[in-house]
Amino acid sequence: MKLLEVVGISKKFGNLAALTDVSIHVDANEIVGLIGPNGSGKSTLLHSICGRTIADGGSVLLNGKELVTTNPMVRAKSGMAIKFQLARIYVEKTVRENLMISLQAKDGMWSLIRSGTSKKFMPRIEELIVEFQLVDYADTEAKYLSHGQQQWLEIAMAMASNPSILLLDEPTAGMSPKERADTAKLIKSASAKCGVLIVEHDLDFIKNLCDRITVLHHGSVAASGTPKEIEDDPKVKEVYLTRV
Amino acid sequence: MKKRTRIGLAIVCAIPILSPLLFMAGNDYLIQAATRIFIYGILVLSVEMCWGQTGIFTFGQAAFFGVGGYFAGFLATHENITDIGLILLVAVAVGILAGTLVALFLFSGKRVGELYVALVTLVISFVCEKLANSWTFVGSGNGIPGIPYPTIFGKTLSSSIGLFFVAFGIFALAMMMCIGIIQSQFGLAINAVRDDEERAEFFGYNRSALQIAIFIFSAVLASVGGALFALSEGFISPSSLGLALSTSTVLWVVLGGKGTFFGPLIALALLESVNVEMRSILPSLWQILIGVMLLLTMIFLPKGLTSLGEKSRNNRKNREQSKKS
Repeated sequence: MKLLEVVGISKKFGNLAALTDVSIHVDANEIVGLIGPNGSGKSTLLHSICGRTIADGGSVLLNGKELVTTNPMVRAKSGMAIKFQLARIYVEKTVRENLMISLQAKDGMWSLIRSGTSKKFMPRIEELIVEFQLVDYADTEAKYLSHGQQQWLEIAMAMASNPSILLLDEPTAGMSPKERADTAKLIKSASAKCGVLIVEHDLDFIKNLCDRITVLHHGSVAASGTPKEIEDDPKVKEVYLTRV
Repeated sequence: MKKRTRIGLAIVCAIPILSPLLFMAGNDYLIQAATRIFIYGILVLSVEMCWGQTGIFTFGQAAFFGVGGYFAGFLATHENITDIGLILLVAVAVGILAGTLVALFLFSGKRVGELYVALVTLVISFVCEKLANSWTFVGSGNGIPGIPYPTIFGKTLSSSIGLFFVAFGIFALAMMMCIGIIQSQFGLAINAVRDDEERAEFFGYNRSALQIAIFIFSAVLASVGGALFALSEGFISPSSLGLALSTSTVLWVVLGGKGTFFGPLIALALLESVNVEMRSILPSLWQILIGVMLLLTMIFLPKGLTSLGEKSRNNRKNREQSKKS
C-alpha cells in the first residue's frame, strides 16, 4: 500500500483551474520532488495535501485513510507534518520551547494543564537539538537564529512527532551552499523514518536527493519519473528547464 | 519559577502586609481603593489570559464582570443569600455558562479574526448595558443598591479591611492559577495559538478547544471579580457591564504591556489610584489625558510600560557584548 496517495485532485479559484486531475504518490522512506515553473500549481497541490486548501475533487489518502475534506489538525494527527516556505516557527520562544510546542501538540487538554508529558519529551528534544545542529542555541529565542537555522528548526519541529509523511515547501530557499548540503543530509536522514514530498525550484538540489520527481505545468502533471528520466524528458526541458 | 515572577509575587504579597498600616493610620478610604484595585485586578487577569496569552481580543469582558455582579446582588437582596462562598460559587457557574455560550459562538467554527472577536464582545457588552438600563427587574438605570455585607462562616464581613483581605485572597488565588497555567505545557499551547494559530493547527493542536477553554476560564475570573465588586461596593449598576469598564480594562492592559501579568496590574493600580482625584481636579481634561497617554504609549512603548525594563536589559546586554568584542 502506498503511504501517501493523491488521486485526481482538482482545484479552481474562480474561473482559474489551479489543479486539474493531479495524481501523485509517495511510498514509505521515499523522497519525491515536485517541481514546476511559477504558477504551475505546486503550492496549491501541497496546500491541498496538508489541508490549508480544500480540494474541489479527488482524494488524499494517508496510510489508506481519506483526508481530503479534513482540517489540518486531523491530518497532523494522522501523521502528516509540514515545513512551510517561510519558516513558521515561534520566534519569541526558545529552540527547546519550539520543539516542545510541536511534540505536545497531540496531547489532551488535561495532560497539557498537568504538564504531564514535559519530562517524557525531554530526551526527544535533546536528540533533535543534536541532530539539527542546534546544540549551542537550545535556550536561545528562535528570532536570534540564522535563516538556515530557523529552517532547520522548523524541519526539526515537523519531524519531532515522528510523522508518516513530511511535506517540505522549498526547504533550502535563501540558504548558503553549505547549509543546502547540510539540509540535504537532514532530509536524507529523515527519509529513513518517513516518506518525504519536497516542493523545490532548484533542480540540481532535488535531482541528487529525490527517488522520483513529478513536474507540474499549468496545474497538470507534465512528467513523472526518476531524476534521470526527468532530465532527459524533452517535454520537461520545454516547459520547465528552459525557464529556470 | 522565573525571577521576574518571584519579584512580582513578592510585591503583590507585600501589599496586604503594608495595607493594615494604612488602616491603622485611619485611612479607610485607601483600603477601599486598594480593594477595588484587587477586584479590577481579577478582571485585568481575565483579559490578559484571553488577549495577552491566547490572542483573543476580548473587548467586552465587563459583560461577564457585570453579570457576575448582578447575580451576586440579586442573590443577596432578593434571596437573602449572603454567604460569600455560596455567592462566589454561583458566580463561577454563571461565568462558565455565559463564557461557554459566547465561546462556542465565537470559536466552534472556522478561525475568526481578532477584529471580529473584538466587535462581537464589544456588542455583547453594549447590549448587556442597554438591557440592564431598561430592565426593571434588575433595577433599570439604578441597578441593585443596598446589597448587604457578605457573611463568611456565619460572621458578617462589615469592615473594609475584612473585605480587602477577601478580595486580596481571591486575587492572589486567581494570580497563582494564571501563573500556573502559563508555566504549564498548556501555557505553551495557548501561546502557540496566540502567535500563529494556523501553524498550531498544522502541528495538531485543537485550536478551537484551547480558545474555548481559555475564554471560559477568563469569563469565570471576570464573573467572580464582578460578584466581589457588588459585595464590597454594596451596589451594582449598568456601568459595571458596559463599554466604559470594558475599554478601561483594555486600556490597563495596553498601557501595562500585553503578554505580561504585572504590567497591566501596575497600570491599573497607578491609574485607579489617581482616578478619583484627577476627575475632581480636571473633570473635563482627565479623560483626554488618559487618551493622550494611551496614544503616546502605543507610539513610543508599543509593548507597554513593562517594555521599559526590557529595553534597559537589552541595552545592558548590548553594552556587555560590545565590551567583550
